[in-house]
Amino acid sequence: MVLKLAIVGGGPSAFFVASRLQKLLPTSNFRIHVFDRLWSPHGLVRYGVAPDHPEVKNCTHIFDKAAEDPRLRFFGNVNVGDSLSPIQHTVNLPLKSIFENYSHVVFATGCTLPKRHSELPPSEHCVSALSLVHWYTQHPNSPAPPQLNKLDHVSIIGNGNVSLDVARMLLTHVDVLRKYDVPERVLEVLAESTVKHVSIVGRRGPLEAAYTPKELREMIELPEASMVPLDPELLKVPEGLKLARTQSRAIQLLNKGPKQLYGTTKKTWSLDFYRSPTGLVLPTAEDPRCHLSLGHTMVNPTTQRAEPTGETTVVPTDLVVTSLGFHGEPTASFFDPGLGHLRTLSNRVITPQGTTLRNVYASGWASTGARGVINSSMMNAYDVAQTIISDMENPPAIEEAVLNPEPPLEDIPTEVKQGIKQRNVVQYDDWKKIDDEEIRRGEVLGKERERMLWDQAKNFVGARA
Amino acid sequence: MFSTARTVLRRTVRPLSAAASAPRLHIANPSLGCSRRRLLHSSMVCRHGGIDRPEPGTGIKLTFKDSKGNDIRTVEANEGDDILSVAHEYDIDLEGACEGSVACSTCHVILQEGVYDRLPEPEDDENDMLDMAFGLTDTSRLGCQVKVTKEFDGMTVTLPAATRNMFVDGHKPSH
Repeated sequence: MVLKLAIVGGGPSAFFVASRLQKLLPTSNFRIHVFDRLWSPHGLVRYGVAPDHPEVKNCTHIFDKAAEDPRLRFFGNVNVGDSLSPIQHTVNLPLKSIFENYSHVVFATGCTLPKRHSELPPSEHCVSALSLVHWYTQHPNSPAPPQLNKLDHVSIIGNGNVSLDVARMLLTHVDVLRKYDVPERVLEVLAESTVKHVSIVGRRGPLEAAYTPKELREMIELPEASMVPLDPELLKVPEGLKLARTQSRAIQLLNKGPKQLYGTTKKTWSLDFYRSPTGLVLPTAEDPRCHLSLGHTMVNPTTQRAEPTGETTVVPTDLVVTSLGFHGEPTASFFDPGLGHLRTLSNRVITPQGTTLRNVYASGWASTGARGVINSSMMNAYDVAQTIISDMENPPAIEEAVLNPEPPLEDIPTEVKQGIKQRNVVQYDDWKKIDDEEIRRGEVLGKERERMLWDQAKNFVGARA
Repeated sequence: MFSTARTVLRRTVRPLSAAASAPRLHIANPSLGCSRRRLLHSSMVCRHGGIDRPEPGTGIKLTFKDSKGNDIRTVEANEGDDILSVAHEYDIDLEGACEGSVACSTCHVILQEGVYDRLPEPEDDENDMLDMAFGLTDTSRLGCQVKVTKEFDGMTVTLPAATRNMFVDGHKPSH
């Protein structure tokens, strides 16, 4: 049986699936083509991992190794699917071409859009945490930089790790960040920042917060910002409640309190638990500040849901950042609006009619929704690789076939061939040259790397070709 | 940091700067003792540090077991090798996505109680990562942080349960 696999998306999940297949299938008789609509590979490892967490990016060595394998090819700047890419310079590859050219497909398209809050419509005063992450990672979506030189108080809505990543970026001295992979233009904005307080708002309490102990510890240990002391009542654990390990460690950390005493630092931050936004009044000619209404909540012990108590507080603030998680793109094929990602059953993609498609899989956040850290993505990817192999060995009774059972192994889709000719497609060798150059440019500046924009990268590779 | 009288196993902490500027794939250093085969096929091991296989019969014996307790392989290591490097040297299915920089929990292993109890307590950063591990037990450690010593000759290292379908299909978070 032929295995010519297209992986749509070139993030960690894609490369973990590929690397696992390479390990489990010693034969040379298969091909994996990875497509990314961004020009560079590695998805959230490049455009999501916080700059001050460089160790997390070490997994790219596994991806490099997978890409060195002659059975794998990478095509960046190629948008697969029938809806147009939000990024203008991509080569478009209709799904039909994937189905004609491949025997198998894995959708590893992630969850690329921010969940919004119904009471907080986006504006220049209310942005998603994702747009800030895209700003400080120089993502090709190129959102407008935040006007940090005009802000004093920032409210981040949501209690996940992304909230804490953004808070850390705003509360860490710019000189500390200079050695990391933070673009110069981002450092310039951070250097002008007048942010004094970051409030992190969660509708539930310290036991329900989704951030992990590592990220909480980093907040607690911030050298230049102190935490507003929490009401000790909030840290009391109800009697008889057995805490999970992460919960008890988070409570311990919060009980220990911040490394810097509150009041001794210029910058401060707070965890504002049991608060749920009910509205945002934007600045007016008379009042330059925003006013964020926060409904007070309590957690219903039975349902674990936040319920309003009826009280409300109004907080003057300058920027609201919503950090409420992510969902997939509603225009993607096989997207399930109820789930917010593709519908899968045991890693296999299910159509809206409930049919399983032969040899069509999804992995990572595209399949599971946006949750979990790198090792959960890795284990999920390994499981998908295992499913692909078991399906080859014992084909399940599956109702619908959409892929080509015997595509020529070496062929690449015409659209991609054309794109390569026009120098619009980045292959892994090109990426490695760009990667080396980014690191070299970083060394000159005394930092981990200095990122290139698409035009710079394209010219650089073109000039060297 | 290592104040216990009998620091039998020591942590390997890679400084941040070293992790950030880790040598690149193609310049793995052959003098680290990697065989040519490993350089070609598994250079990640070299970056992690790599180990020299001791002459058979002279090393410290470790037995890797799968989650069901079945033996995978008994191998020999040198005093001071960490479990992740040993596993990689012998192609045991243990990952090390962050290459021993305590930024992931992919090298999670389960030790015997007697061994675990004699190790110094994990540091905060290791605990932070163990929090994220699947199938955590009371004797779980990160393989990259545990160095083998003669004292533990014959120890077993159990890999955690592979977590198939850990995400319930169609499951929605409760919040």
